[in-house]
Amino acid sequence: MLRPEEMLRLLIAAPKGEIDIIIKELYRHNVYHIEDFVPESEYEELSIGHPLPGASDAAATLIKVRAIENACGINPDKVEIAEKIPVSKVRAMIKTDLPAIQKQVEDLVATRSRLEACRKEHEQRARELEPFVAIPLDLELYRGYERFTVFVGHISHDVSIDVPHEKYFSDRVDGNVIVVVVPNEHREEVERTLLDARFQAIPVPNETGSPADRLKAHIDKVEEASRGIAEVDQKLTEIRDGYTNFLVACDELLTADVERAEAPLRFATTEETFISEGWVPADQADRIRAALEKVTDGRIYIEELEIDDPSRVPVEYKNPSFASPTQLLIDLYARPQYSEIDPTLMVAIVFPIFFGMILGDVGYGAILLVTSLGLRRIVKGEGGTMLLRVLGYASVSSIIFGILYSEIFGSSLKIPWFTGWIEVPALFFNRHLNIGTASGHAPQIIELMVLAIWIGVLHITLGRILGLVNARMFHRGKHATKAAIANLGWLGTMWGILLMIWAFYAIPLMPDLTGLPVVAMGLNAAALLGAVLLVAGILGIAQENPLELVELPTIISHVLSYTRLVAVGLSSVAIAMVVNYIAIGMIIEPQLEAITLSGVIMIIMGILVLLMGHALNTALGLIGGGLHSIRLHYVEFFTKFYKGGGKKYNPFGMKLKFTTEE
Amino acid sequence: MVDVGMTLEMVEASQMGMKAIGAALAVGLTGLASGIAEMTVGSAAVGATAENRDVFGLVLLLTVIPETIVIFGLVVALLLLF
Repeated sequence: MLRPEEMLRLLIAAPKGEIDIIIKELYRHNVYHIEDFVPESEYEELSIGHPLPGASDAAATLIKVRAIENACGINPDKVEIAEKIPVSKVRAMIKTDLPAIQKQVEDLVATRSRLEACRKEHEQRARELEPFVAIPLDLELYRGYERFTVFVGHISHDVSIDVPHEKYFSDRVDGNVIVVVVPNEHREEVERTLLDARFQAIPVPNETGSPADRLKAHIDKVEEASRGIAEVDQKLTEIRDGYTNFLVACDELLTADVERAEAPLRFATTEETFISEGWVPADQADRIRAALEKVTDGRIYIEELEIDDPSRVPVEYKNPSFASPTQLLIDLYARPQYSEIDPTLMVAIVFPIFFGMILGDVGYGAILLVTSLGLRRIVKGEGGTMLLRVLGYASVSSIIFGILYSEIFGSSLKIPWFTGWIEVPALFFNRHLNIGTASGHAPQIIELMVLAIWIGVLHITLGRILGLVNARMFHRGKHATKAAIANLGWLGTMWGILLMIWAFYAIPLMPDLTGLPVVAMGLNAAALLGAVLLVAGILGIAQENPLELVELPTIISHVLSYTRLVAVGLSSVAIAMVVNYIAIGMIIEPQLEAITLSGVIMIIMGILVLLMGHALNTALGLIGGGLHSIRLHYVEFFTKFYKGGGKKYNPFGMKLKFTTEE
Repeated sequence: MVDVGMTLEMVEASQMGMKAIGAALAVGLTGLASGIAEMTVGSAAVGATAENRDVFGLVLLLTVIPETIVIFGLVVALLLLF
């Protein structure tokens, strides 16, 4: 919590003869993050290792398996895990079954591409023939003349030709079609006449017989090819249904084989030994050390090295399970560095509260909760699931705030009681606006805004305190003290300004310090203290870096930025109330007084408006609530202390999904 | 308010109207400003997403950053009206 997983830096050295078994053991444990070896000139005797034998075979087979998966439309990420196949069985099947499947799939794919080419060709021919069907001439009559010229083409309208000729025209085809046969000596003038009518020549297909028959023949061919393709697809589907589990198991096994075989490329080797450096979580170190010593019979040297540069340590989150989905939001910004505070837990708690404050509505919260639960069945993959869990927590918070605000779809909550429906008063502050016929308690906007500012002040204060803690981690010696004082300076300036405001103005929900006795220069004690804090704070900021003073206005703008918790929320309440007023107050209710046929249509329209409006507002609420809540974290909170940029912990190994070691 | 026979109610009503106009200007003008700012960010964001889909979440966030302007406008309008 608040810190990433503790890592140990291990150095493993062993004779080359053990490399195989060590790699296998490391891969099985899936905890060792390999630090890639970079050859340096000062250790010339060390060089990059060579892949294990069998690497290229495994890679070649893997490519075949991937090709089959591709042809059958199998995506291993989306395959449901049916049963885990033992590794030995998969290996045996790769030898016995895979070549046959590969042959079958290759043949099918070849047949399909041949059929597709054939279909394309006949489609093209059929398209070329289409215009000729309208002309009662066989195809061989269009060519082979010495003394005549034949014009065939599309034309905008029929034309009359003054020279001796034979002409066919049809407007039954798209773009019309005209065929004109003239003696060669009149060719040019006829061509001019035709071109005036926007004549466009088309090629005459190199076929014989009646165009209609030929067209039918081509269409039959196209249909035949389509049937063939459907058959091939059917067969591929059968293969997919029959072998999906085997193929994804092959994929997984071979991927693991290739990764294992290529691991020596990340190690340093001498003639007889290899050396690898890497990271393991501290609580796993003893287990992996014992396991390695056991499999090699002690022919291995493992040493724990000192961590000299914290920025090189891979970072793995360590959070309680309810907070782990929020890691997605942190990764979106940047993974924390090894030495700094991991803010995931704080975001996991505060983000849903912000979301609820913005979209506090029982109805919208319930819709989002049901959506997130429903989508969890459909959406696979880690990122999607995590996002849906974040949304789930946020929508529960939205329901809770909905009860506190007494809001359901923009109107107030009502519960059935013996005397009828009674309205529940807002337990918290009320956000009901005076729109339409809605009950007109005045919204407590000032109170809500002051509350939001309080949240901002406290959130930023928390951020600065974390910054104070982090200052020790990022800087050493004198600079650490300077950075710490600068953080205190920012805190002092903010609270100094607050104290001065309190000393001059009475604000609801905030301490009223206007009544304190005047001490000096017309300032009372609070104002004086505030002024001292302010000046001391500014000096504190300036001693680290005077340029930072340019950022002073952000103290006010960042705090005021938290008023979005109220403003964005109110805009969503306003949209909901307006939708209710238009749909119910203006369209449906007047019709209910005397029901007529047109009235029923109007009522249906009113219901549509109601549904559309609330659907739109739910989407807006989700986007507004989610983005603004996370933005308050990224921009206002993280900028106070968070650096990020840690390396992701990526252990050497794989979580077996489809295969199992016996 | 001595001349032209304005009653107190008329003065109050016109003051309410002025407040409403002020609130409308606060939201409307800041809305325009946010829109112009988001236009630039948005088009760059779409370009970046086309290059690399992974940045979608980040650029979505960058796109809403100028929204602060209109939110301040909305806050001012709410304070004027209530």
